[in-house]
Amino acid sequence: MKKIISVFTAVALALGLSVSLTPAANAACSGKLKIAYQGPLTGSDAALGLNMLRGVQFAVKKSGLDVEVKEVDDQGDPAVAGPIAPSVSQDECIIGLVGPAYSGASRVSLPVYLSAGLPVITPSATNPTLFDFGGKIFHRAVLTDDYQGPALAKLVTNNVKNAKVFIINDASDYSVGLAKLVGFTLGSKVVGKETTPTGTTDFTSTIARIKKSKANAVIFTGYFSQAAVLVKQMRDAGSKAVFAGGDGVLDQQFVKLARKAAEGALLTAPAVPFDSANAKLAKEFKKVMGSDPGVYTTESYDATNFFLEAIKKGNKSRATVLNYIKKNSYKGLSKTLKFDDKGEVAGVDVNGFVIKGGKIVLSGPIK
Amino acid sequence: MDFGLLFSEFPSLTFDGIALGAIYALISLGYTLVYGVLRLINFAHSEVFMIGTFAALMASSNIMGVKIEDDPLSGGKLILTIVVCLVVAMLTSGIVAVLVEIVAYRRLRKRGATKLATLISAIGVSITLVEAFRIMTDSLPREFPRFFEKSLVAEIAGAQIRNDKLLVIFAAGLMMFVLDRFISKTRIGKGIRAVSQDEQTSVLMGININRVVTVTFLMGGLMAGAAAFFYVLVYENTSFRVGFFLGISAFTAAVLGGIGNIRGALVGGFALGLLEVYGSVLLGTAWKHVIAFTILVLVLLLKPTGLLGESIQQARV
Repeated sequence: MKKIISVFTAVALALGLSVSLTPAANAACSGKLKIAYQGPLTGSDAALGLNMLRGVQFAVKKSGLDVEVKEVDDQGDPAVAGPIAPSVSQDECIIGLVGPAYSGASRVSLPVYLSAGLPVITPSATNPTLFDFGGKIFHRAVLTDDYQGPALAKLVTNNVKNAKVFIINDASDYSVGLAKLVGFTLGSKVVGKETTPTGTTDFTSTIARIKKSKANAVIFTGYFSQAAVLVKQMRDAGSKAVFAGGDGVLDQQFVKLARKAAEGALLTAPAVPFDSANAKLAKEFKKVMGSDPGVYTTESYDATNFFLEAIKKGNKSRATVLNYIKKNSYKGLSKTLKFDDKGEVAGVDVNGFVIKGGKIVLSGPIK
Repeated sequence: MDFGLLFSEFPSLTFDGIALGAIYALISLGYTLVYGVLRLINFAHSEVFMIGTFAALMASSNIMGVKIEDDPLSGGKLILTIVVCLVVAMLTSGIVAVLVEIVAYRRLRKRGATKLATLISAIGVSITLVEAFRIMTDSLPREFPRFFEKSLVAEIAGAQIRNDKLLVIFAAGLMMFVLDRFISKTRIGKGIRAVSQDEQTSVLMGININRVVTVTFLMGGLMAGAAAFFYVLVYENTSFRVGFFLGISAFTAAVLGGIGNIRGALVGGFALGLLEVYGSVLLGTAWKHVIAFTILVLVLLLKPTGLLGESIQQARV
């Protein structure tokens, strides 16, 4: 049914576009300036997207500027992101976009934004190849999987003696890329590999393979909703292997869904938790937004503030905003955003986390 | 190709495959019953299942007051909770299935609409229900409390028998038996079979067709509700789109066994459960649907009516 739904959406959007396209083309923004956020706001990974959206909204609220936050829901799905990108790029009032959250969705969206000159800062898409799709408009407020992959491998080998690792990916762009890098770093310590496409609920055969491989650690490079199901079934089947995952798993929802089975899980993220960056601001966040900041809230907050800074300095079009963020730097909560010629930031660490007593606890930078 | 693992773990995999197959079989009964009577693929059936999972969740938290963080239940409260959740899930799914028929199909049926119109109506209902639940649940998956600690209770011929899956196999088996008897022995069951053989003649013989159709949808819904409860008992989570993959698998099972044929749906369900588990061990989880569907195509090429042949009467229940 999902396919049918996305076909329907595509047709509906195509119809909608052809109507709205004509008057809006090439007109400069005449109303309120907008900053867009693009990521999964519905769908099974919505929790992660909402973390970021709230970071964007919070930054705009705090700035006091008259800027609208435009929500762009791509469900984290390239098939959804493709058809909606043109409508985003046609709204000239959108002068900057925070996102896309996911690498797969970024690949299809970025070329559209490149041709429209819309500057993009992604707070969370970590696939290393994205510059090739976004070119000059692409910027990233986190380290890529080129850093996260080795760090995740290291986190596991630092914590598990004589690690024998079983690597599982969920067939998404992000997951396959991260799994490759993890595997490359671990080399001969990898005792097995498996792909469990998103939506898999029964892991019987995967667990049989894990057991046979005698792995003492399992690294899952997908997202939290599936990770929770997998780790629960592992524990129920009596597997004691250490469970580890990347930033896709690092979400309070993972702990909520997997409960006791999540205990002791090792996680990485090139992200900085909001409350360890600024505890006071985190409290204010909770008060204003009505929920705790989550993973990538800090990075979204920083990215948005960089755009807002550009607006404050009088930049009111895509071209000047792009120029501003290319030439200047911004000292954010997580790090100083200063982009190199490929839109990447440098000089920061990937952080390690461990789940203890139902909480995600920062264990520090992975060395 | 990991034949070594398949052979060394064969007994345990078989057990797990049967447990998965039991859930498929219960859902596929709904497809097959409706097809048998109306010659219609009820695409909304996967949503009847999905709503059942949420009904079970509501029953456990709102009626029985079981909280997610609670310790596993025991004794009388455990049994009562299981029974209440099962019954609520079954009734909810049953009622929803009947409502779907009244809202989406009955009028079309009376007006003699084409099969295609009914099919579109089915897809429409399915999308409406999925999206409604997506909005109501904020698109988030929901966790289900752990009713009892999952543990290995026995080892039979090398198969590791886990308590929750054993319960599912037994309970599902019992329900299938009851349904089978219901269809073959009761008056209304005979009515269902008569309508599936020849609708016009059975109407002439004085069978109330609307009643037969309603009961058919009710039966399918009850079974889907039971499957829903068993699903959340084993996998302990649900989401608005839980019906999608399971629905496709169950529909496949129905076709594999011979759609319209009740025992065919059971055979198809178990066969598909086993095939998926064996196949995913052999080639990797990513391949399980490929394997299952390849075998489905091969079976249909050799025997287009499915393993046990189409339509209810041919099985001579």
